[in-house]
Amino acid sequence: MEDHDDQELISAEHDHLVSAISKLDKTQHITQPSRNEPTSLNSEFNLIKNTNKVDLGKVVTALKGSAQHSNITNKLKRLQNAQALPKPLEKPQAERIKRATGYEATKEKVGKWDAVVARNRTVDYVSFPLRSMTRKEHPTKIILSKLKSKSPLEKELDVIDPPVEAEEVEDEKSFPMTYEELLEHRKQMAKLRAQQSYKAAKAKRQSKIKSKKYHRILKKEKLKQQLKEFEELQEKDPEEALKKLEELEKARALERHTLRHKNTGKWAKSKLVRAKYDKEVRQQLAEQLAVSRGLTQKTQDTSSTDDEADENEVITDLTLAQDPLNPWMMKRPDKSNVDSEFNFGYKEYLKNKMQENPDSDTEVSENEVSTLTSLKENILKLSNSNDIETPTVNRSHLEVKTKPQQDFKCQNVKIVKQKKKLVAVSTSEWSVEIIGEQKSTSNSKVTEVFEDLENQISKKVEQKLKNLRESIEVLEREPKKENKFKSKDRNTATDKFESLKFKNQNPKPIIDEVLLETNIRETENLPVLDKVTKISQTGRLTDTTQINADIDPGKFIEVKPKYLNTALSKGESNIDDLDDNDEQIVPKVDIEEVFEEDDVVATFRQEKQDEVDNDIPKNIDLELPGWGSWGGMGVKAPKRKRNRFISKPIPKARRRDENKGDVIINEVKIAKLEAHKVSELPFPFTSISDYEASIRVPLGNTFIPETAHKKLIRPNVITKAGTIIEPMDEEQLMLPRNLEFKNQNVIELLAKK
Amino acid sequence: MKENTVLRKTPRYFDNNDENGSTSKTTAVDKVETYNVVMKPHSKWVRKKLQIDEPKGKKNKFPGKAPIDSKKLEKHSRGDEIGKGVRHPIHALKLKKKEIKYKYAQEQAARADILLTENAGYLQVDEDHRTTGITQKAIAENVDITAATKIFELKLEFGPYRTKYSRNGRHLLLGSKKGHLAAFDWVTKKLHCEINVMESIHDISWLHVETMLAAAQKEWLYIYDNTGMEIHCVKKMDKILRMEFLPYHFLLAAVNEYGFMSWLDISIGEVVGHYNNYLGRTSVMTHNPYNAMVCLGNSQGVVSMWAPTVKKPLAKILCHKTPLTAIAVDQRGMYMATSGVDRSLKIWDIRNLDGPLQHYKLRSSATDLDFSQKDMLAVGLGEVVEIYSNCCTQTVEAPYMRHKMSKSICNFKFCPYEDVLGIGTSGGFSSIIVPGSGEPNFDAYENNPYQTKTQRKEAEVKALLEKIPPELITLDPFEVVRVDVPSLKDKLDAKSKLLHVKDKKIDLKIKHKNKGLSNIARKKIIKANARKEQIKNTLEAQEMLDLPERQKPTQSFGVLDRFISKNK
Repeated sequence: MEDHDDQELISAEHDHLVSAISKLDKTQHITQPSRNEPTSLNSEFNLIKNTNKVDLGKVVTALKGSAQHSNITNKLKRLQNAQALPKPLEKPQAERIKRATGYEATKEKVGKWDAVVARNRTVDYVSFPLRSMTRKEHPTKIILSKLKSKSPLEKELDVIDPPVEAEEVEDEKSFPMTYEELLEHRKQMAKLRAQQSYKAAKAKRQSKIKSKKYHRILKKEKLKQQLKEFEELQEKDPEEALKKLEELEKARALERHTLRHKNTGKWAKSKLVRAKYDKEVRQQLAEQLAVSRGLTQKTQDTSSTDDEADENEVITDLTLAQDPLNPWMMKRPDKSNVDSEFNFGYKEYLKNKMQENPDSDTEVSENEVSTLTSLKENILKLSNSNDIETPTVNRSHLEVKTKPQQDFKCQNVKIVKQKKKLVAVSTSEWSVEIIGEQKSTSNSKVTEVFEDLENQISKKVEQKLKNLRESIEVLEREPKKENKFKSKDRNTATDKFESLKFKNQNPKPIIDEVLLETNIRETENLPVLDKVTKISQTGRLTDTTQINADIDPGKFIEVKPKYLNTALSKGESNIDDLDDNDEQIVPKVDIEEVFEEDDVVATFRQEKQDEVDNDIPKNIDLELPGWGSWGGMGVKAPKRKRNRFISKPIPKARRRDENKGDVIINEVKIAKLEAHKVSELPFPFTSISDYEASIRVPLGNTFIPETAHKKLIRPNVITKAGTIIEPMDEEQLMLPRNLEFKNQNVIELLAKK
Repeated sequence: MKENTVLRKTPRYFDNNDENGSTSKTTAVDKVETYNVVMKPHSKWVRKKLQIDEPKGKKNKFPGKAPIDSKKLEKHSRGDEIGKGVRHPIHALKLKKKEIKYKYAQEQAARADILLTENAGYLQVDEDHRTTGITQKAIAENVDITAATKIFELKLEFGPYRTKYSRNGRHLLLGSKKGHLAAFDWVTKKLHCEINVMESIHDISWLHVETMLAAAQKEWLYIYDNTGMEIHCVKKMDKILRMEFLPYHFLLAAVNEYGFMSWLDISIGEVVGHYNNYLGRTSVMTHNPYNAMVCLGNSQGVVSMWAPTVKKPLAKILCHKTPLTAIAVDQRGMYMATSGVDRSLKIWDIRNLDGPLQHYKLRSSATDLDFSQKDMLAVGLGEVVEIYSNCCTQTVEAPYMRHKMSKSICNFKFCPYEDVLGIGTSGGFSSIIVPGSGEPNFDAYENNPYQTKTQRKEAEVKALLEKIPPELITLDPFEVVRVDVPSLKDKLDAKSKLLHVKDKKIDLKIKHKNKGLSNIARKKIIKANARKEQIKNTLEAQEMLDLPERQKPTQSFGVLDRFISKNK
């Protein structure tokens, strides 16, 4: 028993040791309770919740040894490494993705029919059924062999055993998919699913991104894309490009409407609390406000007079410049990081463009300026006014003149913005330089964006300048009397009371005349331009005449009467000689001239004159005598009133017989005929000449050859009588006539539909 | 095949290819050589051999259709192609395809020209002879029997006769002042009917078929059938002086003693236009086949053109200073010939309403004028008919033919598709041959001289279906295919006034074939040229007079040279 005791002791010691060792790491291990011995009583506390989870690692190790289980171990290992499937997307999102991928798949599937459809739509005629029945040419031998009569033996046999008539199999055969087809089908489905899952994954990833920077980049990218499109469009289709530009501008306007940068946000409110004490915060808020002001700046039309715009700017400038240290009102131009957020889109694009090649721009503008200066000086000479204003005004006029007439909205915006910025920087009043600068920038922008357009106009301007220079001599001889007169008046007035008056900052012209709502540049340059146009016209005219100078003048020589040696009738034959001499026998006295009534011609011409006079549309007098003034016998309405109420009608087109001599052509409108005529152009036509050309050829077989007639009147769709017209099948896709149809425009148009 | 004639035929298109068609060859009359040629079917072997014989380096064996002469193509052109105004891809493509068909039609028409095999005849004489010297007797002796039968004379007793041929030139209608009315097939001389209406007949006319004829009698207008039975008496049209039938409109245009013009639609029996022309009594009337306008000449020397729907003349030309005696318009509506009491004959460009192109002075005033299908002009001078060929585009020196009769001429007409002129005289009717006056090729769909009864019926139905409404009679017959620009403009303006409606951009320009400048422009150019010429001449003259030349400054002062006074 000693041995037994010993053993017990050892075990107890061992346990002790183990517990001591286990205590070393100072953690309390909760051992799993395990049942050691069988009991009849099953206490509910004794019951252990045992996870049935099998530790795969252990299993693997267990199977490790045997080579025959390697397969299973591999599988198990793979299982171990496998990760749980990601949580599926939200249902609507998943559905959306499903729809999107489905749409693309179907689009592709349907898209292959595009060429077929396009061809069928545009082809001369389509004859149905599309698949013509292939007639098998049976050789006569085969046919004859089938017509063999039966031998007597066969006949007898038939009597005994009538042949089974082949029953027609009528059941529709359903073709199960072949193995290859099945595989193909499965592959396609798998592809579709895969695409869907890729998209889903991408969407999930993107939706989780919270980074502002990322979104900003995304936005920028989108804009870049748009700009790229815009640039492409500009080359291809300038009109479309303009539309696009307008859209972009609209987007900007929308942004302008929002309350961003109005200091109403959470951030601003939190800052406001501190603003009272913290100068920096105040500054930040001011910046924000400045941004909003910049955005909400109303776009101004350039058509409004420069003076007004200038005035406005002066005011804003003053407020801004009042207290430059005031952080609430200040906007530092060098610190434009806030503004940069709105410095995207076409604005930035334009800026970049400008920076890319500023040299060429300046060149262009310089050129223009140089060409303009000479003209400008001349005009300055003409106007004797000594005002400070005039040069700038003139300059601005000239500048306006150089600009394309159809200023685009966006362009206006640009100009205004530019102005604003400059103003913000400058603390003084507006000066000549500003305008000059602005002019150059605006010009350069214009040239950049609408290069070709500008080029055209600049060419025109150059042409005009050329003409102007030529006419300058003429102009100098007869300077504008009016201008002189007025300016003189003004000068004398100012001279007299100069000492007493304030210096007029913004002098306005004092004119007694009624002011017309026209652009000053027009009125000022009108005589000049008139002359120029006249000169150019005459030049052109002379050109044309020179070109067509070689024309047979013989056509207009009056027809001289040719005396014919005709036969004479018996009654009046004095000299009954029908000699066929070559010489003309001219009677000494033209007896017939005795009969000639000269007044026949006179009356005819009078008649023609009357017709012409009748045809001239008359003035319509809408004046009511006595209305607003005295009326009655001998009272004439004032001239002004008469002019006002008499409306001049639209001048008629020239008469056909105007230069025809003794011919009267009555160009009456025949109402009955007009009912037969086309008075509205049908759809695809946009020009009359095209439409008339399309109906110029008669179709009847009495006018054109029969073959051509048959061709022209063939119906678009021909159906063969008595045949079933099956719907198209995919065989059509592979027909050469459909494969050869390559008109991309038509295909694209139909695909869009 | 044998052939032993000396008669020389005019070369025909099928004559030159006798090597493949006929195997015979005509030589002298006495010697007749005959060849017996047995045609063997081509065996495979022969064909192969033939193929081998051909040189390989040659051009394509079948180069396709023969090229068409560009002039012929131009002749059949219908105008410029459709421009590039249509942007819609589908419609643009369709129009392009249509254009190809149009081109095909044009080419086919040009190719079909070789089917017009007949050529116009002509008179040819020695150098020292004139064509006027050839009498009808000489012609009758020299032509074949059938052609000779076309020269004939009818001696009738009932006063001056008026004649008219039917549109296919087969039938002739005679009507006399004393009431004699006769219709017959003048080629076979088979009489359709002959009656005396016991009233004066002022004018006669065939209607659309030869079974119906109209006679303007003393009081009313009567319509008879070809057996002489009276079908209608149209009392709406009274005291008619002259009549013209417009075949495409089915209109019988007439003018009466009081100057009332009336157009009777014979297909529905309605008068479509009836008004007074205020010209007084005039019996000078014709119609323009190009635009179906009725031309009236009055005593003031004015030719006026009338349409049924407009109660004013659409055009008036002062042709002569004296009363007019006759008018004629050619088949294409290009030229109009007028003659007045002043013994003059003028040719006018009636399409452009311009002229006169030619002005001839005759030795007596013309009583009647008529153009043939080949633009020969017959001029009636008392008892003589003179025929001028090609007198419109160029000034002729002498007539082409001259025919004298013993009776005074009432009227005459060229027979369509025949080289025949039928003259109605005071003593009956005479038919003469004028070589080259008629159109040698007829279009059987249009006018068929050899028409059968069924063909006539068929043609009648078709013509009725293609009847042109009377309101389409205007100066320019193509007016109806033009777009009504003023009303289109009005419509566009009205639309542009509507709010929220996008404007349609429509190019209102109309293409006009401006083949030259206007008269005024031309005149200006000529004047300018004359002025230039004069200036040049004067300068030259001055040079000739050797005026002292300008002395060049001997000494140069550089920039200050400009202050040196110039001595002139």
